[in-house]
Amino acid sequence: MPSQLTARRHRVEGTLADAIEFCFQQGWTDGLPVVPPTAELVGAMLGGARLDPKQEIGFVAHRGVSITAEKAAINAVMAGCKREYMPVVVAAIEAIADPRWSYHGPGTSTAGAGVLMIVNGPVARELDVNAGDNLFGPGWRANLTIGRAVRLVMRNVCGSMPGTLDRGTLGHPGKLSYVIAENEAESPWTPLHVERGFRAEQSTVTVMAAEAPHQFYNQLSNTAEGILTTLCDDMRISGNVMGQPHYAIVLAGEHMRTIAKDGWGKKDIRRFVFEQTQNTHAHLKRTARMSGPIDPGDEAKLRPLIASPDDILVVAAGGRAGAFSAYIPGWSSSRSSQAVTKEVRRGSAA
Amino acid sequence: MIELLDPTTGVATQTIAYVDRPASLEGKRVGLIENTKFNSDRLLAKIGDILKSEYGVAEWRMYRKHNASVPAHEELIAEIRKSCDAIVAGIGD
Repeated sequence: MPSQLTARRHRVEGTLADAIEFCFQQGWTDGLPVVPPTAELVGAMLGGARLDPKQEIGFVAHRGVSITAEKAAINAVMAGCKREYMPVVVAAIEAIADPRWSYHGPGTSTAGAGVLMIVNGPVARELDVNAGDNLFGPGWRANLTIGRAVRLVMRNVCGSMPGTLDRGTLGHPGKLSYVIAENEAESPWTPLHVERGFRAEQSTVTVMAAEAPHQFYNQLSNTAEGILTTLCDDMRISGNVMGQPHYAIVLAGEHMRTIAKDGWGKKDIRRFVFEQTQNTHAHLKRTARMSGPIDPGDEAKLRPLIASPDDILVVAAGGRAGAFSAYIPGWSSSRSSQAVTKEVRRGSAA
Repeated sequence: MIELLDPTTGVATQTIAYVDRPASLEGKRVGLIENTKFNSDRLLAKIGDILKSEYGVAEWRMYRKHNASVPAHEELIAEIRKSCDAIVAGIGD
């Protein structure tokens, strides 16, 4: 029997609708209605990951905040998660509390990062985390509620309240929820988590502080080089061109098959994109992105978008039909926030 | 009646020991903590010069954080502790 729930209790007179309204009034929601977090639902959510309520899932040093299992579970209930989703929520919270992710930046910045979460391994299929049609859109409970739970934790536990501590100038819709799975069943490539040091049969969540997805079209080429040339031309001026920490490239069905048919793996894609997205100093100066006058040699002097090809995460995901894919700029500048992958642990008592 | 659990956590309070503010900046050594944001060094240098010309500061020296999103690192704080009487720090865009 887990130890007692210790969160402060609020008694609301009336109906379920009154309880939902109460949550709005307390400032607990992201603007959408939440499931009122009763002790029964929270207990079940904790049971979904076999967590003791007191257990610390993460400590955000910059905020001096300990994220306990109980608070995570309360917010997961509010977000509409099934109890089976809880281990994924926990892994994502561990990841954003990891010092490499550097919470203070993406949790507060005017540049308005969302938390892109990429789910890999068996758990993605078991929980029906969408990796296909309408990838970033509505329709899948796991995708919409897991990310929402993490964002509610950021708001209610870590204090990233829009307009006060979360000062995103524009923000983007992914700040509500930004969860995808990799289409491992159809992908010809090494899954992201395996590239990042895990075994294929492990389940993981990779978090990356991220801008909104940028869709690009290539309905013409039947070669890897053709499609990726279009991608690079779209991507070359995007995000913080003066030095991004990361990009995610999300290749959907048609593009994935065309690129793979030419024998290109993820490493080849990263190398090509790294080389073909560099800007000349002259262009950066002409377009007011780099300071100073144009010097002799600036027309030939190249500046890469990211420090290394390894800073590009390549993910196979999206619908089977349609010659579209996407790139996602990371947040801020190099060294500010690194993508972090954590294992989703299920079934073992913490 | 429905009983709800509170999803929020208050930030733990910390007691921070500040040294006393100097009564005057006359003859003092001032550290300027630069957060790497574009032009922050130029702004701080300007502030340093004003502190010298108008407030009698003896000297200023610039210190650079690893990046704007992280607190000043331990080595930097140790160095400042040894060589400064006061600091100017801030963040902005």
